[in-house]
Amino acid sequence: MSPLRVGAVARRVASQFRRDHRTLGLLFGAPILIMTLVGALWGSTAAQTYRLIVASDQGPAAPLVEALRKVDVLEVSTAPLAEALDSLRAGGADAALSTRVGFATTELVVTLEGSDPFRRGATLQAIQGGIIKAANGAPLPAGALPTLQVEYLYGGEDFSLLDHLAPLLIGFFAFFLTFLLSAVSFLRERTSGTLERLLATPLRRAELVVGYLMGFGLFALVQAAVIVAFTILVLRVRYEGNVATIFLIEAMLVIVAVSMGLFVSAFARTELQAIQFIPVVILPQAFLSGLLQPVDQLPEVLRPFSVVMPLTYAMEALRDVMIKGFALSHEIVVRDLLVLTLFAVVTIAGAILSIRREVA
Amino acid sequence: MVAAALEARDVSKTFGQIAALRGLSLTIEPGRIYGLLGPNGSGKTTFIRCVAGLVKPDDGSLRVLGASPREAIATGRIGYMTQSAALYPELSVEENLSFFAALEGVASAKARIEAALRTVDLLERRGSVVATLSGGMRQRVSLAAALLHEPRLLLLDEPTVGVDPSLRREFWDHFRELASRGVTILVSSHVMDEAARCDRLGLIREGRLIAEGTATELTTRAGTDDLESAFLSLSAAEA
Repeated sequence: MSPLRVGAVARRVASQFRRDHRTLGLLFGAPILIMTLVGALWGSTAAQTYRLIVASDQGPAAPLVEALRKVDVLEVSTAPLAEALDSLRAGGADAALSTRVGFATTELVVTLEGSDPFRRGATLQAIQGGIIKAANGAPLPAGALPTLQVEYLYGGEDFSLLDHLAPLLIGFFAFFLTFLLSAVSFLRERTSGTLERLLATPLRRAELVVGYLMGFGLFALVQAAVIVAFTILVLRVRYEGNVATIFLIEAMLVIVAVSMGLFVSAFARTELQAIQFIPVVILPQAFLSGLLQPVDQLPEVLRPFSVVMPLTYAMEALRDVMIKGFALSHEIVVRDLLVLTLFAVVTIAGAILSIRREVA
Repeated sequence: MVAAALEARDVSKTFGQIAALRGLSLTIEPGRIYGLLGPNGSGKTTFIRCVAGLVKPDDGSLRVLGASPREAIATGRIGYMTQSAALYPELSVEENLSFFAALEGVASAKARIEAALRTVDLLERRGSVVATLSGGMRQRVSLAAALLHEPRLLLLDEPTVGVDPSLRREFWDHFRELASRGVTILVSSHVMDEAARCDRLGLIREGRLIAEGTATELTTRAGTDDLESAFLSLSAAEA
């Protein structure tokens, strides 16, 4: 092995890096960005809190409510049972506590929102802790605990982590892969000279972008169909809502992904640079759109970022349809689809304008 | 008087600190082959891109077949062959040509594709995937794509780079035949023996037209025997 030749190769690689400022910037900037997000997301020592609504009309005795209020991780409020259940459905609470009068006994009923297995377990544990304290202020043997009737608004006792994550992953993979493919493929159009050739024909920029959307969208939807079918048929993930609604959400999401891919390709000169957009465009969305942590439980400082991310809305809609069985006409699904449509319009316009840069 | 096919007046274009075109003016009569001659970086490609509507001049005016470049492109009156073959390597020759025919709105595309392939002598390779073709063959497909819609003005940016001498001769025979049918051709080159085949030549250097005329006129003016010496002599006189 010749040290001279090895040194020549090493020097050449270093020189190439030194000249590629974008790669250099991302090499150091991307890990700092990601670690900042991780720090903001999981670095806080503040404990998670769980929202419990105690039924004011069919609620348990006052000492129990007082004991529950003393549980640090519980945020306790009161409301009539019907309102409490509505709030649970709207995502405004984690559990509702009420009583049910039977022939011989009065049962305590905890209704858990249930769509997140981690949150479901922690909420139940906190409520049980409060009940134990209420019993006599000291732990009791398990057999002596008052019996709790646990009910689930969504999911159930056997609702697994996979059931919870599947809708989010379906959205994430469709977005990630479609974005990357369209960015790299359009970059090739720009760098190979074919884009210049196309712009010297009667083809309009908007026609080019819409053509790309249709071509890629078709494959992206087939991909989504394969993912959904595999998830439901092979992985046996629980599934409540309408398949057509899921596809509509996926379709809107891939349209946004393709046009974002076309747009960012204007800011890359090589395929390597296009791939470098993953830490900038994809990873923050993985952290902040609800995949790793529900959006409403993100630290205050990060929430504004999740608002401007298309995946936030797609994931909320997919989760609401697949886990909660919401219909297309449900106000949250309608709102999410409208926001996705707005994202699509903005990113398509961005993609069209980014092509204009070529002929400045 | 016949309207000019191309009329450029004081066209200037600057990219950052680099002035690519500095007040370039030229006129091309219909049915003529006009050769834009100059060294690399002299502004030939920038001028052709202006004519193709891909670059907007900072200053000056440009009329192409009586219209603005974008209007001429939108109505399919310009054919453009880029310096390196702009094709989709995964698609076959015929699929590439069908795509460009669709963009140009070519009627009876199948027949036109066949005719264009016959012109560039690639009919038997119509089913071949472009990635498997040699550089010269790709140039021929690229030329076929520029001819599909029978444009009135053909822009050829160094069309014979990487093309062997016999095929180069065939290319030029074909250009001449197109010109005889009234097609105007603007061709850029830095190969002097090709330049002699043009009806009229413009010598371009640092974004300026330094001399214009037929090959004979230019050699006479420079007092040289060949175009290469004429170009060097006229460049030196201008500097």
